[in-house]
Amino acid sequence: MKEYNFFLGCIAPNRYPGIEASAVKTSRKFDIELRDFKGASCCPAPGAFGSMDVNAWLALGARNICLSEKEGKDIALICNGCYKSLFEANHRLKADPAMREKVNSILANIDYEFQGSVEVRHLIDILYNDVGPEKVKESVEVPLTGLNVAIHYGCHLLKPKFDRTFGSSERPRFFDELVEALGATSIDYKEKMMCCGAGGGVRSYKMDLALDIANEKLYNMTQAGADVIVDVCPFCHLQLDRGQVEIKEKFGDVYNLPVLHYNQLLGMAQGMNPEELGLDAHEISVEPLLAKIL
Amino acid sequence: MDEEKRIGVFICHCGTNIAGVIDVKELAEYAKTLPNVAHAQDYTYMCSTPGQAMIRDSIKEHNLNGTVVAACSPRLHEPTFRKATEEGGVNSFLFSMANIREQDTWVHMEEPEKAMEKAKDVVRMEVARASMLEPLTPKTVPVEKAALVIGAGIAGIQASLELADAGIKTYLVEKEPSIGGNMSRLDKTFPTLDCSQCILTPKMVDVERNPNIELMTYSEVEDVSGYIGNFDVTIRQKSRYVYEDKCNGCGKCQEVCPVSRPNEFDLGLMPRKAAYVPFPQAVPLKFTIDMDSCIKCDLCKGEEACGDLEAIDFDKPDELTTVKVGSIIVATGFDMYDVERKEEWGYKVFDNVVTGIEMERLISASGPTGGNIIRPSDGQKPKSVGFVLCAGSRDQDEEDGAKPYCSRVCCMYSLKHAHQLIEKIPGCVPYLFYMDIRSFGKAYEEFYYRIQNEGGKFIRGRVARITEDPITKNLTVTAEDTLLGTPVEMEVDLVVLANAVVPAESTQKLKTLLTLSNSPDGWLLEAHPKLNPMSTTTDGVFLAGMCQGPRDIPDVVAHAAAAAAAASIPIHKGSVTLEPIYAIVDQEHCGGCATCIGVCPYGATELNEVDSKLVASVNEAKCKGCGTCGSACPSGAIKMQHFTNEQIMSEIEAFAQGW
Repeated sequence: MKEYNFFLGCIAPNRYPGIEASAVKTSRKFDIELRDFKGASCCPAPGAFGSMDVNAWLALGARNICLSEKEGKDIALICNGCYKSLFEANHRLKADPAMREKVNSILANIDYEFQGSVEVRHLIDILYNDVGPEKVKESVEVPLTGLNVAIHYGCHLLKPKFDRTFGSSERPRFFDELVEALGATSIDYKEKMMCCGAGGGVRSYKMDLALDIANEKLYNMTQAGADVIVDVCPFCHLQLDRGQVEIKEKFGDVYNLPVLHYNQLLGMAQGMNPEELGLDAHEISVEPLLAKIL
Repeated sequence: MDEEKRIGVFICHCGTNIAGVIDVKELAEYAKTLPNVAHAQDYTYMCSTPGQAMIRDSIKEHNLNGTVVAACSPRLHEPTFRKATEEGGVNSFLFSMANIREQDTWVHMEEPEKAMEKAKDVVRMEVARASMLEPLTPKTVPVEKAALVIGAGIAGIQASLELADAGIKTYLVEKEPSIGGNMSRLDKTFPTLDCSQCILTPKMVDVERNPNIELMTYSEVEDVSGYIGNFDVTIRQKSRYVYEDKCNGCGKCQEVCPVSRPNEFDLGLMPRKAAYVPFPQAVPLKFTIDMDSCIKCDLCKGEEACGDLEAIDFDKPDELTTVKVGSIIVATGFDMYDVERKEEWGYKVFDNVVTGIEMERLISASGPTGGNIIRPSDGQKPKSVGFVLCAGSRDQDEEDGAKPYCSRVCCMYSLKHAHQLIEKIPGCVPYLFYMDIRSFGKAYEEFYYRIQNEGGKFIRGRVARITEDPITKNLTVTAEDTLLGTPVEMEVDLVVLANAVVPAESTQKLKTLLTLSNSPDGWLLEAHPKLNPMSTTTDGVFLAGMCQGPRDIPDVVAHAAAAAAAASIPIHKGSVTLEPIYAIVDQEHCGGCATCIGVCPYGATELNEVDSKLVASVNEAKCKGCGTCGSACPSGAIKMQHFTNEQIMSEIEAFAQGW
């Protein structure tokens, strides 16, 4: 069994506990244990912090990594924003001795030192590269045949390309393969790689603009015949789920398109019931989806 | 060596380059205190005629038998001062140069006191070395009156014609079945708009007819040995499976050949047969059978086809030929950047995204569409065309293999494409997304104005991405208009990516064979970027055209002619003088261990049997005097002339005296 320190981030545990629950439960099927990560703080948010002061952003991120280094455990996470903060902090501080020295001088205030001894992994990366689509497929009890999935990769998972290890940042396939392993169909839609609209502080700063972007994305997904949106980021998730309510209020457009985190979709396919996956906590009802699957 | 050493030291001011930082008078006085120094003086410009005369006259006046000039880098004026020493009646190798400019006053100009200390160290060391130097005599070797040109694009063609016209036997080697290179793919040439083939084919024909040129197409250089004046070159003539002397170019083999595969010449936009010539104007007009796709149906050999000519032979082997030449010109051209790696532009994903060179074929009358510009998805004439300039050039994205340099041809050929679109398709609007329009050549800026007036639209901004409408196959180009400061989106029918030029893959092997190096950008390294851009650091090997760096046709032709002129110099002189700075083996002490064979980067050391004992020897002409063998030799049997152990040790000892 491989153990990871499970970095929850802020949005999943506070807004979508089902994302957290589904990640822990589905991973156990592959002998992966996501342990409580004691003492972890906010990642911190890459757009808000990273654009203000890179060193402070890296130092706060590195503090979380240091905690895991003390336990000798790699970190697993389920949020693209956390991924950007922690993966990049880890990646850059390992590669750049000057930057590392700067950050370590900040960490010295709390007697921490970044060693560079652990890895930071997104759960989707672990599922694809360590578990593999074949094993994921073997774990399926309820194949999601006929389900049209609009995949939303999310920006921070793939970009900037030079700080990532997924290969293609414009036409990636790994997430599609993992969805297709569940029996579902990953549909192509216009501007598939477009942002959800929330990131970079846009959702907090200019809601109208953020929703306008999400609206276009939702329209394109609907046009392509999507039954469900599947993401790997609680912030994208919030934007595409809660955003539908806000879009209805602001623009009057109605989609009622259910939104699932990949681990929730995986849980469904592994035969878990909707309550244990926290699907009832979503703003947009997943009922039509359940009707289609079950 | 027993003769008393009398060294003269000459300190150069180099204007204020040296004298502005350190006290040259004090340095000269210091030099006088050094052992063996019989005379020391300073002067404003030692390299000037009076400066040289000063050295010459001082030698006589003070009865000197060695000289040290403390001035700039020996790369600049070592030959000047060697000559001045020689004129004074002293062997020119009894001169030593102390670099107190590049390595001292330039780099330490903020710390004059320390610079002075360093200047003293350097002068002391060179005086010590000069006291140990031995007279040497340069060697002269005869030069083969023939040249080799590798690559028969416009650069190689031009260089060969120049050499041949100068009366030099020239072997022109081309790896493809025809000469012509990339220029033969082009439709028109900027800014004069003359037809590329029309100006190129006469030269191609000249090559074929010139009695001094021996054309070897479908051939590659396999091995090179020897040195300037005396290169032995082995050339592999790949089998065409067709006897060139029998083939009359009738093309019947091609007519009956049932195989169809993409034609490389047309970048795969058009099919060719397994029996083929790459394009109608090919030189030589001899057919080639591509054995990788041939199905050996024998139709081409039949009565209806080659028949009695019996030009085709499936068992015809490759042939190896060895030629002896005095100088070599490398003219291996370029490749196009693999713009598929820029995923955001969707090349090879979207039907209607093409590259600049594909556009050339689409415009060309001999191209796949007979000169009708159509978009690949539906064969319709495009009414709006987006151009992405700097596609892989001026781009620091190493991840995608993009190049930081300017490719120098893309702005101009895109302007030309824009003109041709406007001319050929009424109402068609070209949109050029550019960073800067670099129209630097003669009549280029005027051409830019002309396209502006004709209706070309220019948007200053890099293209962030291109998306495709899955139904109409139209493309949406997204960019930031940096002049308006706003994002722009534009729907167009066709996109042309003006992709970068990159060093040719095929040049890599030659680099090893000819001991050439490349600059950080990957292009072959010239001897001097400004004053000697057509020579290399390997004597007798020259560069022509794009293999040295991006340039357009006029510059390639000028460069090629320059390379030909440079390559003909040793041939016309008939002999070359070799620096006596080479290693010599004391065969008494050589144990024949072959260590020196392994370490020599120039292949200059060899093992021979002398008096039934294996001993090493050094080919004086090939040796570059790097000294690697000397330091590696376990028995101390190799002496590096002009850099002997004693000479180097004396310098080190003199340096240590300063501590």
